[in-house]
Amino acid sequence: MTEPATEVRPTSEGAFLAIDHGTATVAVALVGRVAGAWRLLGAAQAPAGVDESSVAERLRGRLADADPELAAAAGLADPGSTADLARLRCTTERPPEIAVVAATRRVAGPLADVAATAGWRVRQVVIDGAEILPVATALADPRIGAILAGASDPPGADERSLLAELGAVVTAAAQRRPDLVTVLSGGLATPGGRGDGILPDRAGSTVLAPSATAGGGAPLRRVLDGLRAGEDDGRRALATATATLAEVLRRGVEVVEIGQSGATRALATWSPGGGADLRWASVPAAALLPAAFTDAHLDAITAWLASAPDRLRVRDRLRELSIAPWSDAAGDGALLRLAAARAALTRLAAATRSLDAGRQPPEVLVASGGAWAIAPGPAVGLALADALRRPGVRALGWDHARLLAPLGMIEDPDERRVVVADLRDELLLPLGSLVLPAGLRSGHPGRLTVRGEGEPVEVELTPGGLELVDLPPGERATVELTFRDPVDLGVKSRHAAAEVAGGLGGLIVDLRDVPLRLPDQPDRRRDLLAAWQSAFWAGLDA
Amino acid sequence: MNPETLAAVPARTLLERGLEARIPLPPGDRPLVVTGAWVDAGDPIVEHVRDRRIAEVDVKVAAGSAAVTAPVVGSRWSPPASRRRNETAADGELLAPLPGRSDRWRLATGEHRVQLSSPLRGEVSAVVPGAELRIRAAGPAIRGALSAGASAHGPLELATDPFGELRPGGIDVGRAGSILVVGSRIDAEALTRARAMGVRGIVVAALPGKELRDFQASERRQRASLHAVPPFAVLALEGAVRRPIPGPVTTILERLAGTHVALLVDPPALVFDEAPDDLPLPDPDWVRVRGGPHAGLEGRIVGLAGPRRYAANVQLDAAWVAADGEAPVDVAIGDLERFA
Repeated sequence: MTEPATEVRPTSEGAFLAIDHGTATVAVALVGRVAGAWRLLGAAQAPAGVDESSVAERLRGRLADADPELAAAAGLADPGSTADLARLRCTTERPPEIAVVAATRRVAGPLADVAATAGWRVRQVVIDGAEILPVATALADPRIGAILAGASDPPGADERSLLAELGAVVTAAAQRRPDLVTVLSGGLATPGGRGDGILPDRAGSTVLAPSATAGGGAPLRRVLDGLRAGEDDGRRALATATATLAEVLRRGVEVVEIGQSGATRALATWSPGGGADLRWASVPAAALLPAAFTDAHLDAITAWLASAPDRLRVRDRLRELSIAPWSDAAGDGALLRLAAARAALTRLAAATRSLDAGRQPPEVLVASGGAWAIAPGPAVGLALADALRRPGVRALGWDHARLLAPLGMIEDPDERRVVVADLRDELLLPLGSLVLPAGLRSGHPGRLTVRGEGEPVEVELTPGGLELVDLPPGERATVELTFRDPVDLGVKSRHAAAEVAGGLGGLIVDLRDVPLRLPDQPDRRRDLLAAWQSAFWAGLDA
Repeated sequence: MNPETLAAVPARTLLERGLEARIPLPPGDRPLVVTGAWVDAGDPIVEHVRDRRIAEVDVKVAAGSAAVTAPVVGSRWSPPASRRRNETAADGELLAPLPGRSDRWRLATGEHRVQLSSPLRGEVSAVVPGAELRIRAAGPAIRGALSAGASAHGPLELATDPFGELRPGGIDVGRAGSILVVGSRIDAEALTRARAMGVRGIVVAALPGKELRDFQASERRQRASLHAVPPFAVLALEGAVRRPIPGPVTTILERLAGTHVALLVDPPALVFDEAPDDLPLPDPDWVRVRGGPHAGLEGRIVGLAGPRRYAANVQLDAAWVAADGEAPVDVAIGDLERFA
C-alpha cells in the first residue's frame, strides 16, 4: 500500500531562489527541480548592499556556462530568467534594544538573561539603590524599543517596598514614549496579585508575559521573540528549519549560527512517533562583533590568534570588520574572522547553557551564518571542536549556502519537509565526524580502530592531542575506542564503538581537555594553535 | 560598462539627501524649537542643563485657576508666581510623580544652563522631550564611519592633501572656528591642540582606536569642567586603519572649501549647508579599493574576474580594476566600492 505523495506548490519553471539577507552579507541559492527532486544548482554570497537579483543572475550565468542542458531544463538558459523565479526570502535585522527593569538585581538578572537570548540587546535597570535621574534617562533613550518590567510572583520581601517606585518610573517612561511596548512579567502580570495595580495609567502597548523562571524561561522568550522581529525573521526561520532537518534526518540536530549582528543556537531532538522537539535562542551578545565591544571581547579573540598580535592593531582591524564586514577577507583577514567566530561561539554556548539542561548533545552539529563564509570546511570543523566542548560522537555539517533559514520560511510543514528531504545531501556540506572524549588521564594512551571500506586503521590516542583520520565525504566507518580508564563519551566507558560519517575534515578525534585549556605562555599557545590550524587549513601559508 | 558588472560591486552613497541629525535631549534639557520649525546653523535649539539634579515639587493646580490640566510626564514646570516663592525652586521638566502621590512630582532641573545652537541648516523633524531632537538637513551630506565629540559647524578648510597627516605643530590659532580636513590620519595630541586653538572640527580618513580613546577621555574631562566649552568634533570618513580620503570625496571637499559645513556626531556625517546643485560626481565605473593588499587604489572597473584564489587559500569573487593606464589587477569584490 502506498501513501499519496505530498503536494509541493510548483514554482516558476521548476526553480526558485532562496535568499538569506543578513546585516553584513546576502546569500543567494538557486534551487531547481531535476529528475523529480529539488537540487541545489548554485549558491553565492555578496556584501549586503549588492542587489540580490544581480547575484542570482551571476549564478544563472555560471550554471548556463557549466551545464547548458540543466539550465535549459530549469528554464534558466536565458539572461534575466531569474527575475521571474519565486523567492524564499528571510531577513536578519540588527537586534533592537530592550530595557529590563526590576526592583532588585535578583529579579532583574533572570529577566535580562531571557531577554538576551530572545534576540534583544539588553540594558538592565535596577531600582534598588539607583538614582532616579539616570533611571529616567535610560528609559527615555530613543534607542530603547521596549521595556520589560518584572517582579517575583508573589513579590519577595526585598522588592515589595520598591514596587511602587518601579511602577512610577515605568508608567512615566510609557507616557513619555507612547511608541514603547511595555512587557509586564511575573508578579506584575498576575491579576489580583501584589504587583497588580502598580501601573494604573499605562500608555502605549502593554503585553502580559510569564515570569523568567516559568518553563525554564522558554514562554517568556517566545513572547519577547515575537515582539522583536517580523515574520520573515531569519533567525526564527533557521530554528524552524532545524526542527524540519531533524525530522528528515531522524536524528537530533544542533545548529549554531554566527552572524555580524547576532547568533542563534537551535537544538532539535527527534524521537520516533514524537517528531522533533525544538529549543532555540537568539543571542546578540554572541555576534561576531557585539555592539558593546569591550576589552574582554578583544582578549577573547586575540587568544585564538596563532600569530603574534599587536593588540591595538587587532582592535583597529576588528573595527574595520564591523564597518565593512565583507572587506579584507583573505589572508590574515580570514584568520581574524575565524578567531572572532570562535570567541563568538564560546559566548553563544555560555549564554545558552540552559538549552542543554538534562539532554545529550544532538548527533549532528551544523555551522551556519556569514561568519564562516570564507573559511575552508575543515577549519570550520576545527573551530566547532575548539569552542563547543561537549563529550560525545557527532557528525559535523556546514550550511555552506545559507539555505537552511530560507527553507524555514516555507509555511506548510509538509512542503518544507519534502524540500529539505530532497536537499538533504546538498544543503549541508559534510565536514566529517568529531569524537570528543572527556576525562582522559595524561600518560594513559588509548587506542582507536577505524573500520571503513578499506583496511582497518589503528591509531594510538595520546591525551592532549588532535588525531585526524582520512575519511572522505560519503564514506562511513565504525570506530572502536579503547582506554585504560573510563572516559566520558556521553556515557562513561572504557570501550566504545560508534558509526561515523566522512567529510572534508575526515574523522577528528579530539583528545584535548574539556573544557579546552590553552597554555598561559603566549608563544606556546600560538605555536599550538598554529599547529592545529595548519592541519585543517590547506594552503594557509599560500 | 556592463550594468551587471556594476551591480555586482557594493555601492556607497556619496551624497545623501535628507539626512536626519540627532541631538541629545536628556530629561531636564529644554527644547527651544518645535517640530516643523526651520533652523539655521547657529540658531539656539536646546537649553542644556549642565548640573542636572532632581527636585521634588508640588504641582497642585491653584484653586480657581482657568487652566486646570493634569501634569504630564516630560512637560515643563515653573514655580508659581508668589511673594512667598522658595528661592531654591527652579523650573524644569516633570519626570514622574512620587509613588502613590499625584500632586508631588520629581523635577529634572539645574542651575547652570547653556544654550546649544544648531550645527546645521534644516527642518526640525522631531522633538521628543527627555530623549532627542532631530533636524533634517537641508543640504547634502557625506556619511562617515565614526565620530566623537559634539556636533559643530564652521567653514571648511583643507589643511593637508588627502594622503597627508596633520602634526600638532601645524595647527595654530589662525584655524580657529574652522572645520579642518586633515588627510589620512591624525593623533590625539593633534586633536587636543586643534580644540585648544579653537578649531571646531576635524575631518580625517582614519582614526585609530587608541587615538579615539585618548581623545574621548580628554573630551570627557573638558565637558566636566566648570565652564561650558565650544563644540568640537572629529569625523573619520573611512574607519580605523590608515588610508587616504577617497578621490571623489576629496573632489567635493576641494570644491566646497571655504563654505560652511556641519560636522555631525550622530550620525557621523559632514553636511554641506551651502552646496551648489552641480557637485562633481565620479563616473559610474569608478571604483575604490577599501581593503586588502590594494587598499587605497582607485580606477575603473573593467569586468568581473569570477572566483579567484587569494592569500590563505581563500576563494573570493573578483573583478578587474584598471588604474592610471596600468594593466588591470584582480580585486576581491568585497574589497571594492563604487560611488552612487
